[in-house]
Amino acid sequence: MSTPVPTLSVPPVPRAGWRIASILAAIAVFIVLHVFALRGTDFEVSALVTGAEGMASFLADAFPPDLDWESVLAPALKATTVTLWIGLLGTTLSIPTALLLAVFASRTTTPHRVVYQLSRAILSFFRAVPDIVFALIFVTAVGLGPFAGVLALICHNTGVMGKLWAESMEETDAGPQQALATAGASRLQQVTHAALPMALGQFVGLLLYRFDVNVRSSLVLGLVGAGGIGLLINQSIKSFRFDAMATQIVVVLVLIILVDQLSSFIRRRLEV
Amino acid sequence: MTTLRLPDRAPHPAPPAGGEIMQVRNLTKSFGGRTVLDGVDFTLSRGSVVAFLGANGSGKSTTLKCVMGLETPESGSITLEGTDLSTLRGTELVRARSGVAMVFQKIHLVPRRTALENVCAGALGRLRGPASVSPMFFSRELKEEAMAALARVGMADRAHEKAGRLSGGQAQRVAVARALCQRASVLLADEPVSALDPRAAEEVMALLAELAHAENLAVAAVLHQPDLALRHADTVIGLVDGRIEYSGDISGLDASMQARLYTPNRAAA
Repeated sequence: MSTPVPTLSVPPVPRAGWRIASILAAIAVFIVLHVFALRGTDFEVSALVTGAEGMASFLADAFPPDLDWESVLAPALKATTVTLWIGLLGTTLSIPTALLLAVFASRTTTPHRVVYQLSRAILSFFRAVPDIVFALIFVTAVGLGPFAGVLALICHNTGVMGKLWAESMEETDAGPQQALATAGASRLQQVTHAALPMALGQFVGLLLYRFDVNVRSSLVLGLVGAGGIGLLINQSIKSFRFDAMATQIVVVLVLIILVDQLSSFIRRRLEV
Repeated sequence: MTTLRLPDRAPHPAPPAGGEIMQVRNLTKSFGGRTVLDGVDFTLSRGSVVAFLGANGSGKSTTLKCVMGLETPESGSITLEGTDLSTLRGTELVRARSGVAMVFQKIHLVPRRTALENVCAGALGRLRGPASVSPMFFSRELKEEAMAALARVGMADRAHEKAGRLSGGQAQRVAVARALCQRASVLLADEPVSALDPRAAEEVMALLAELAHAENLAVAAVLHQPDLALRHADTVIGLVDGRIEYSGDISGLDASMQARLYTPNRAAA
């Protein structure tokens, strides 16, 4: 006969009733919010069914895509390259401003509480204003074309990347910075010799992610006149050239896949 | 009654007749109404290793952090080479404190930087200007000094290795080299071997003792291993509940004293 396995009665979970009530209340709030959201956006599945005919007509016009080199494919490739350049410059030219504001807006590196709050406010502003709004402003200021798109991305990306970098610096181990502080290093030296190198991996990872996002954003910016393939897609839609638009979308798709693969490759090589 | 056999003394040469370099008097500190340091007095001398022993929460690390300026004591004085540090402010205080280097339990090297670059960073306190913000601008003289420090701790052959690729013992040696590059005369080590295996711990403690005796440094190390203190320290300060229970030669750290230092929940006993 085997020895009986020892058992012990499980003590009651403290405040179990209150926890269950909290979870049920959270679920109720979640459902109510979604009901309001569905009503507020006129969300109707039936509209999709009734619109199926229009969708089929659109697809019939779009396929087969127009692959004419002179009138469609070559301009699409040229405009896609411009889109890539907008995304690239919008990312890289925002590095200095994002870096400066990130250092000031990180609790571990900021020189003063007032500087910290001010930098956070500036980053919030640039982040809160969508890139498409910046694009509309800059199109008015510098005219139609890719330059307006680059300026718009610089502004918005400064806000987003600055915040992400500031948070990544706050999350890294502050020990090396403290070690240099005890060795008499100045605040600037602590930043450049400890805080930044400690966060460098995350910085590069976030930079590549933002490049990926910015290339896609620059497409949308083209719709409001900021150059690139977005502008061509807009023109194709307005002139009902859906077959040309299909070609342009395929070219964009190839660009997005290439950028994504390049970004992954660099991250793997840098082990970030 | 069980008795503890004292470990053999490591073959360190006799410490040089060094003068007192740091005097700490009547240090008190409390956290949230709980007194963690209660009138701590001690002196550090050149060429000598002082081991701080005691149970968790006895105040060993807090003592070193107060001396280093990482914690602010409520009262007491810290005198470094005849200067009361409480009378100094701003850059004067930073300059004076740069004569005290610290080695940490978690080592705190920058993993992406090479061992050489990490050691050079020990000199940042005396470098100023734009040229001091990047290792790219470090002078040849500084790099050669850092190489000499690495050679001193037996790590010259790993100078260009990223710190993140070094073992715990190797990284702690590099951290000691960084302290040497700081040109400090006092080296405080807060549990420098707690995260190391016994062999690496023995090597790092032997290195600290050897440096203290050969380079005339004053070394104070917080330890959790009395046998390491017995093998490598010259004097011992034993703390219990923030008070010094024992201060003196290692010969006084017998089994009964060790039992007194590590009695659990002494306050309640």
